[in-house]
Amino acid sequence: MEKSEVLEKVNEVFIDILDNEDIVLTYETTANDVDDWDSLNHIQLVVAIEKKFKIRFTSQEIQSWKNVGEMLDCILTKVA
Amino acid sequence: MFNLNDKFRQEFSVSENVYNGFLAVFQDNNPLHTDNAFAQARGFKGKVMHGNILNGFLSYFIGECLPTKDVIIHKQEIQFKNPVYLNDTVFFEAVICDIYESVKALEFKFTFKNAEGVVVAKGKIQIGILV
Repeated sequence: MEKSEVLEKVNEVFIDILDNEDIVLTYETTANDVDDWDSLNHIQLVVAIEKKFKIRFTSQEIQSWKNVGEMLDCILTKVA
Repeated sequence: MFNLNDKFRQEFSVSENVYNGFLAVFQDNNPLHTDNAFAQARGFKGKVMHGNILNGFLSYFIGECLPTKDVIIHKQEIQFKNPVYLNDTVFFEAVICDIYESVKALEFKFTFKNAEGVVVAKGKIQIGILV
């Protein structure tokens, strides 16, 4: 799977969980750039992404992400 | 503490106390819930208990019946499949169907059955473990 394809799928998850059709994620996007990406929604986002890609993250992986691009890299290592 | 497919069971009674307490607090006096004749005219055996009484039982299960009190409900969904009547006993069963260790969250599938073994409600609930 290409990184751009993962970005598209993750974007769909964000739109669904945050109820915001206007979200357009980039590799550089951080929580500060997206309205309502707070700690509670972060849990729902992670759960939804784990479900969508049928993968599991560790808490260390989640804490290491600096932006969406790093999240996508992590997903790619698990779906490859 | 929690493992996939762990199963929990609990029995609840939709007693006069529970019913009257729900009515007193939430004031949903719709005749389907308060008038036997009204409910019977619409094909039910008698007045139908508020579905959200079952959500109260669900709250009790999460808050009081798990092996830790460090829990919080993140989200839940419930389908009401069959009516529950006054003084019915309902048999609750929940199974852990997913564990998200990365964010300390669990998901249960649950059912409520009546004394005849008929599913009266079913759904999913996701909780977080606080510490």
